[in-house]
Amino acid sequence: MEATSNNSEPTRQTGMANIRYGVYNQPSNIAGKSVQEIRSQFSKIWGIPSDAVAYCGKDKLDENAVIQPGQNIEFHRRAGEKG
Amino acid sequence: MTMKVGQNFIMDDKKRFIVVGAGGIGTWLCAGLIRLLEWKYPGSGLIIVDGDNYEEKNKERQEFTKLGNKAVVKAQELTLQFPNTTIIPVPKWVVGEDFSGVADEESPKIKATDLVKENDVVFAVVDNFAARAILFDAARKLDNVDVFTGGNDDELFGSIYHYQKRDGVEITAHPEEFHPEYVNPPDKNPGELSCQERSEIEGGTQLLATNMAVASFILGRVHKTIVNTQSPDETEIFFDLGLGKAEPYNRTHSHLNNQTEILV
Repeated sequence: MEATSNNSEPTRQTGMANIRYGVYNQPSNIAGKSVQEIRSQFSKIWGIPSDAVAYCGKDKLDENAVIQPGQNIEFHRRAGEKG
Repeated sequence: MTMKVGQNFIMDDKKRFIVVGAGGIGTWLCAGLIRLLEWKYPGSGLIIVDGDNYEEKNKERQEFTKLGNKAVVKAQELTLQFPNTTIIPVPKWVVGEDFSGVADEESPKIKATDLVKENDVVFAVVDNFAARAILFDAARKLDNVDVFTGGNDDELFGSIYHYQKRDGVEITAHPEEFHPEYVNPPDKNPGELSCQERSEIEGGTQLLATNMAVASFILGRVHKTIVNTQSPDETEIFFDLGLGKAEPYNRTHSHLNNQTEILV
């Protein structure tokens, strides 16, 4: 299921939410920001690729989805391939 | 009692473990699994599947005593040391249900659905997503099964995943729900390539420490979820030996269904 933005301006409630990518897991003041904004903020320090899909639980988030306080957002990291 | 490949095998406290891939991760994983079976579940079976051969260059990361087919060599080694476990080599490449290529003496194949049966515990420690996907898909058709997989990249990074079904219900999500690389694998299953094509596949930059760490993380999950029958909450684990970090992710359906709904 993919969450999408609607036409009305979303409620941007600020506060803390949790962001995860691979081995990284950090509560951060990201509530109220869009997935796109969060990706931009963390892409360099954590190496999040531009095509890493963002999820909240099983729900795939689009780039305009706005994160609410207390939510867990996860950018999926590709699994290890070799062995 | 004899045991055959593809035979359902669940009797009391006996197990049937299937290791697919006896290479960088598989050799170290076999060393742990055989000890678990030998002392915790005597009379159990360990099936080792691999169509590839050990070469001199593999010694840098892989544990073996002589050259030859990986499944056969590893089974011979372990049989000498562990008499209470039935060890069966399957010197074949695993292929999918729709495989239509040639299976000859040069490149013997076995379909994943002919290999994986009810109550099996499967370890998909191959070096490509395509073969892993085939094994997960075969397991998905069963009612009771566990599939552990693991791999490594970028020298010190690795991850593992545990797929579990009980009584026909998926306890953990199929990895394709989170990993597009299982839906459209960027690589090829070596079992479906020619010998020439297989020889051209690069092993990538791998380190012994990372191979062993993947095996250790999988063994840890086996201890928790198979031996102790605890919930597979740490379904997926990412680790980075360079950073000294590991992070577990809960992919159980019971957890995922309770995650906060997203808002726009």
